[in-house]
Formats: sequence, C-alpha cells, structure tokens
Amino acid sequence: MSLNRREFAGIGTFVLGGLMSLVLAVPGVAYLLDPVLKSRKGGPSGDEAIGFTSLARLADLVEGLPQAFPVLAERQDAWVKYPKEAIGSVWLIRQPEGSTERVVAFSAECPHLGCGVNLAPDKHSFACPCHSSSFAIDGKPTNVIPPRPMDRLDVKLSDDADPEVLVRFQRFRSQAKEQIPLA
Amino acid sequence: MRNRLLDWLDARTGYKALLHEALDEPIPGGARWRYVFGSALTATFMIQLATGVLLMFSYSPSATTAWGSVFYINHEMTLGWVVRGIHHFGSQAMIVLLAFHLIQVLLAGAYRAPREINWWFGMALMFITLGFSLTGYLLPWDQKGYWATKVATNIAGGAPVLGPYLQKVVVGGLDYGNQTLTRFYGLHVGVLPGLLVLCLVAHVALFRKHGVTAPPKAEGMDRFWPKQVFMDTVASAVVLSVLLGLVFMEGGANLDAPADPGSSNYPARPEWYFLSLFQMLKLFEGDLVIIGTFVIPTAIVVMLMLFPLLDKVLPGRVAHFSACTLVFALVGGATYLTYTALHEDANNWEFQAQRLEADRARQRALTLAADPEHRIPPEGPSYLLSRDPAFHGRMVMETKCLSCHYYGGKGYITRVISQVKPADLEKVKSPVVIEGSPRHVATSLMAIADGFTSTGPATRDKAYGEHVYRFQGRDAKEQQVEAIVSTDGRRVDVSTHSKQTASDLKGFGTKPWLRGLLENPASPTYFGHVPQAKGMKGWKKKSKLEAKELDAVAEFITEYVSKLGPEGAIEDLEADEQANAHPGLAAFKKECKKCHELGLGGEAPNLSGWGSTRWLTHMIQEPGAEDLYGFLAEDKQMPAFADRLSENDMSTLVRYLEGETGETDKTGETDKTSETSETGETGETDAFPAPAEVPKSDDLAVAR
Repeated sequence: MSLNRREFAGIGTFVLGGLMSLVLAVPGVAYLLDPVLKSRKGGPSGDEAIGFTSLARLADLVEGLPQAFPVLAERQDAWVKYPKEAIGSVWLIRQPEGSTERVVAFSAECPHLGCGVNLAPDKHSFACPCHSSSFAIDGKPTNVIPPRPMDRLDVKLSDDADPEVLVRFQRFRSQAKEQIPLA
Repeated sequence: MRNRLLDWLDARTGYKALLHEALDEPIPGGARWRYVFGSALTATFMIQLATGVLLMFSYSPSATTAWGSVFYINHEMTLGWVVRGIHHFGSQAMIVLLAFHLIQVLLAGAYRAPREINWWFGMALMFITLGFSLTGYLLPWDQKGYWATKVATNIAGGAPVLGPYLQKVVVGGLDYGNQTLTRFYGLHVGVLPGLLVLCLVAHVALFRKHGVTAPPKAEGMDRFWPKQVFMDTVASAVVLSVLLGLVFMEGGANLDAPADPGSSNYPARPEWYFLSLFQMLKLFEGDLVIIGTFVIPTAIVVMLMLFPLLDKVLPGRVAHFSACTLVFALVGGATYLTYTALHEDANNWEFQAQRLEADRARQRALTLAADPEHRIPPEGPSYLLSRDPAFHGRMVMETKCLSCHYYGGKGYITRVISQVKPADLEKVKSPVVIEGSPRHVATSLMAIADGFTSTGPATRDKAYGEHVYRFQGRDAKEQQVEAIVSTDGRRVDVSTHSKQTASDLKGFGTKPWLRGLLENPASPTYFGHVPQAKGMKGWKKKSKLEAKELDAVAEFITEYVSKLGPEGAIEDLEADEQANAHPGLAAFKKECKKCHELGLGGEAPNLSGWGSTRWLTHMIQEPGAEDLYGFLAEDKQMPAFADRLSENDMSTLVRYLEGETGETDKTGETDKTSETSETGETGETDAFPAPAEVPKSDDLAVAR
C-alpha cells in the first residue's frame, strides 16, 4: 500500500496525536487512580493500626448499659501525621456475670451508610440519627433499614485485677450484608 | 450505516461546516514549518491545562499545607513527579515557544497593518503567560518560591504611585502567608486561565480573519488540513518529547525546603528566564534602581506595543528593519545578562556555599517528611526543621555553645568567602611561599587570612567544581584556620575555628566520654582548656583507682547515678539491689563521693541524674546553681542560658547533645526523583566540601 503525501499527513496526524494523548493519559490516569494503585495505611498508624487499643477499665462499665468510648490513635492523613486523637467511637456493653463474653463492643459506625449510631432514648437499644436504622442491644436490626447487625469488634481483657478493655478498632464496608473489613 | 449516522449528527449539529471552517482554511504560499509555533504554544497550553487540573486534585493552597501536598504529589503519589514535572518544564517551554513565535511573527512582518490588533492580543497573551510563571512559582511554598515572590512583589511595590497598593492587594496584606497563597492560587487557576482562553480565542479568530502572512514570493496554496496540521502535530510532539526528556533526566521538578521567613542567607534566584531582569537590577544603584525595575521594562513593553504603528512614521522597509533590529538587540542583551548572571554565580563561592546550606535544609526536610516516624506535623512543614534536633538543635549548639566548647574536635567556624581585590593584595608586604602552592595563591590567602601561618604544605584538590589549593594553619590569634584558594588566586574561602575554652560536647553523658574523662581530665576533650576546673585534674594526680575500677565507675555513673532524681542520694543506690552489687559503687565511694556528694553538690557538681535530659537542661539553664558550679567564682562559670534560649531551642539542643544528630540516616531521600535532580544539575560528584566539614556525597551538587 502506498500513501500519497496528503494521506500520509492525515494518518500521521492521527497517529502522532493519539500517541501524545496516550503519553499524557498514562501518568494522568495513574495519578488519579493513585488511591487504588497504592495501598497506604490510612487512618490509624503505628501499633494501633493492627493491634488492640485500651478503651476503658472493666470497672468503669455498668452491666447492660451501652457506653460510648472514643478510639484514640495516631493518624496519617496524606502528608500529615496527627498525634493521638479520636478517630472513631465504640459502644461497650458489659455482659452479666457468667457470660462467655464479659464485654461486647460495637462500632458506632452504622452499617447502613456510615453515620454515627446513638443510644435510643430507652438506653437499651440503638438508633441512627440519619436514616432511622434501629438496633436491639445485641446489635440485631429492629427495622428493615440496616443491611446487617451493628459491627462487632474483637474484645480482649487484660490480666490485671481491674482489667482493661482492649478493642481492635476496624472499619467495614457500608451497605454490605456481611461484615467486610475495609482494606 | 456510518454515513447515515454522520449525516444524522450533521443535521443536528452542523459539525461538517464547522470542521470545514476549521480545517479547510487556505494557506497561501503553502504549509510551512515556520508556522508551527502558534499551534505548538496552544498544544503546550493544553498540556499545562491538563496537568494543572490534575495537580489541583491534590494540591492544597495554604501556608500549612501547600508544601506538604506538593511533597505528597512529588514523592508519594503514583507518577505524581511526572505530572508535576511536565507542568514545571511545560511552563518553561511556554516561554521559549513564545519567544520563537514572537520572532517569527516579527520577521514575517505579521504585526503590521491590518494585523495590529492581533499583535496586541499576542502581547497580552505574553503577559498572561509571564503571570502564570510568577504566580505558579510561589505555590509550593518552598524557600525558592517564597523568596523569589517576595522580591517580585517588592519590585511591583516600588512602582510609582499605585505600587504599594498593588503589592498589598496581591500579597493580601503586608505579610506573606495564607492570603498570599490563596490569592496567587486564584490568579493561577482562575483568572489567568480565563483571560488566556479569552485572548487566545480572539487571537485565533483574528488570525483566521487575516490569514497567514506568506513570504512575498511564495507560490501555490495549501489547506490547513492535512499538511499544516501534520506539521503542527509534529512540532507539538517534539515539544512533548523534550518535556518528558527533561522530566526523566532531572527526575521531575525540584522542591526546596519549606518556606522559612526567618532564614537570613537564602540565595534567592528567579527562574532562568527572569535572570536577565534579575541581573539588570544589579546595574542600578540606590534611587536609580527604579530604572531597572520599572523604567526599562515599561519602555520595552511600550516599544513592542508601538511596533505596528512604526509604519505610520517611517517608510515600510525602515520600520520593519528597525523593529527587527530592536528585538534582536533585546534578545542579545537578555542573553548576555542571563549569561553574566549564571557566570557570576558559578564563580561566586559564597553563593555556592549558601546554596549548599539551603540544599542541606532541603535534604533534611525531605528526609523527615518521608520518614514514617516524623511525617509533616499538622501545624505545617515549617516545624519539620525547627523541631528537629539534628537541624535546629545543631544550629543552636553551633551558635550558642561552640564559641567556648568544641564538638567532635571542632569549634565555632567563622567563614569568610571572599573575592580577592587588588587592594587586598597590596596589604601583603612580604609574601611568603607556602610549600606546594604557587606564590600568587599564597599571597591571596595572606591578604584575606590575617597573620596566617601554615602548619603544613598546601595540597591540591577540587572544590566548588574547580581545582583549588587547600591550606591548614593558624592565624594571628592562634586560632586554627583551614582555607581553600582557587588556582588563579582570586577566590578565597577561609574557615577559622574558635579557640576552645571548654570541654568537647560530643558524646557527653555517655560511658566512653566519662571513661575518657576519668583517664585523662587534662585532655583538651575535657578540662585541658578549662583552668578553673581543677578538681578532676587534682584528683587524677592522687588517684589510686585502677583501670578496671575506672571502667566500673564510668559504668556505675552512666547506669545508675544518671537515673537518679535531683535529690537522689547514695543511700538510694545502696537500697537498689543491682546498684548495690555493682563494683563501681565501692570505687565511687572510695574516691568520687568526697567531692561529688550525690543529691547535694558543693565543691563539685551534683552528679545525680548526670547526663540525663533534666540534668543537661539544668546545667545549660543555670550552670552557677549551688548544686552545679556555684562553687566557682561567677566570672569563671559557664554563662547561664535560661533566658537566652526558647523552650524549643533548649529541647532540640539537649536532644542533639543526647545523640539525636540524624547521622545514622545517611540515606537522604529514598526517592529516585530527587536523587537524579541532585546530581543531574552539575554532574559534579567530586569535591565541593566546605573546608571544615566534608558534606555527604548527596550534598555535593550545587544547584544554580
């Protein structure tokens, strides 16, 4: 196939133009997709990122009464490192003597769309102020709005005489039926 | 099918007529390579627009966040350094292409009737482009942008009548800060792009109205599509290739240390295309400076604007010839001034030394920002360095402590970097030849270093990117001097160490330091230069402790005594099982306790907590305290620094003395982007050491 000058110029323009767009698009798209391409430890950094943090002493908790505690952690936000400050909130409920679990911990983040779940006026159930999700004291949904029960967090008690309540704080995907940790 | 679809589209949009209008523009005389500059400029502007919008996705304009966000883009984000690099070099390409475009238009006579107005639009576009450069330079809020902008806005502030108001409006007040950044940002991403697009539309529309200005004897005719479009595309592709080449060669755009309004020796230089203006300023002194800042630039602008009107007063050929001559004289003058500016800096050791100092700050800031232990504090990047013991603590030590103390065998260094003048040389009455150096080099050194006597032969070496002679010796005041002299003898760099009158602080508080003291208190490292500190020297003469016992004492003090509170007494240690069993306790009681009464002091400092943060702070704040050196006459004591150091000065200093010198992290930046830009600039990896301290190899390059 032979091209005359006119055809060559026309095709050449498209080829070169396409090439230029590609050369620019690659870094541009990679740059925009950076949050997906690079897995950075956002949120809590340091030990808190993987481990358990102490939220309260067992003695501070009243049996059967949900109490909210802030989770304090160092936090990395893009280029800034914040000193320890509240990065989320957890509901702790002390269980009756003799139960297998002595403390149950729920993330205060609503599984529906991530608002902060509050205690209902009766003090023995939960209600979300955004879209009226409601949950029983065991975290089970009591209306059809939330897709799953409130998110349970791992709890550990320290070995002291007055044990500390250690919780592993995590975030989970909203709207999902299962409790899927955000990575 | 395809045709039907296109017909449908055309019926609704009329795109075919538009395309025809855009692409079938006739080009009398045929397509030419010399017509590509306007299109290449437009293409480069599009590249700037695209990369600029991308940068906006991650840039944050405020004094506390700008530097950090640019650091994040440059060093952390995927190919962020490429995006920023293209934008950075793209801005320079705009200027170069603009110059080519202007000259092409001028040579072709395309500024003449009936195209006068389009020439003026071109002028407007030029100013907008320069405005982009000026405003964009500040946005990273680094030293380079901060100081260059301060200079530029002060120049504007010097303009007659409206200058000060203009400056205040642009800067957003009298101080440079958040408002300056947001204003410059608004100009850079809002006002200027809007204006540029408007002017560009008018520029292209007028160009289309009048067509190209073909050479007088040109024959034939082309349409814009496809030949000229192809040529334009090739030109744009060349520009893009050059940009990418620069980005990869230089490792992206540079990011200097965070802006520090308190720095006093930052050698500010504008971008290279403003260097001619920068150099011109130096030609005018005092009140005349307004000629360089205002009169000449304004005259040039007015002259360019009036070009199309020259034809009204001069015969056509003469007018065109004058216009071309003027512009070439202008370009020639600018080139000459730019060359002089670069040449002066290359031969200015003081500038290079300051640049080296600035690079050290930059390197440290980048290292800290990248270190997961540090990162950038929420208060902003300026605290990166000011809270860093290795940077700020070292500086406090150098300026406050080293006039008496030494650190690692070095005192306070007074550095004089000088260009030797004939008048200096006349002062040298009887030139001495120093072994290993030519006569004129030795004479130059004598002229600058008063009463210099060498303590050894000169050595040949390389520094500041050239061959030099290196000297060691003493000056008239018996101070230790190290010096570098260029082979032509015209540049001299003299470093004078202060005279030691107190101990060497390196390793203070550690076991080896203490063990050394116990071995030989009269060594210059300890009390050799401190005649008033007689106690330890007197003790040593009579001491019966053996080496093993001295080891034990040193260990005992650094392990146990140093952990005591201010009132901790020997009984507290005896009560401690481990301390009580330590062999050092017996030796301490045998010979040290007599003077060093733990928890009290008196005839000797209280050693309880010796070397701890608390002890060091107390010692620096109040060395004349009763439990420290209160037993000495006041004029024999170390001066108190309680009121002379801020809290931050004190804590960084103490941490530095405790060993946080940052020396273990020799890696500098882990990122390849900056490494290449560091060494790529001069290609010099050999010596550029200051005489007293040999910088790490990654400090060597001299940025211009």
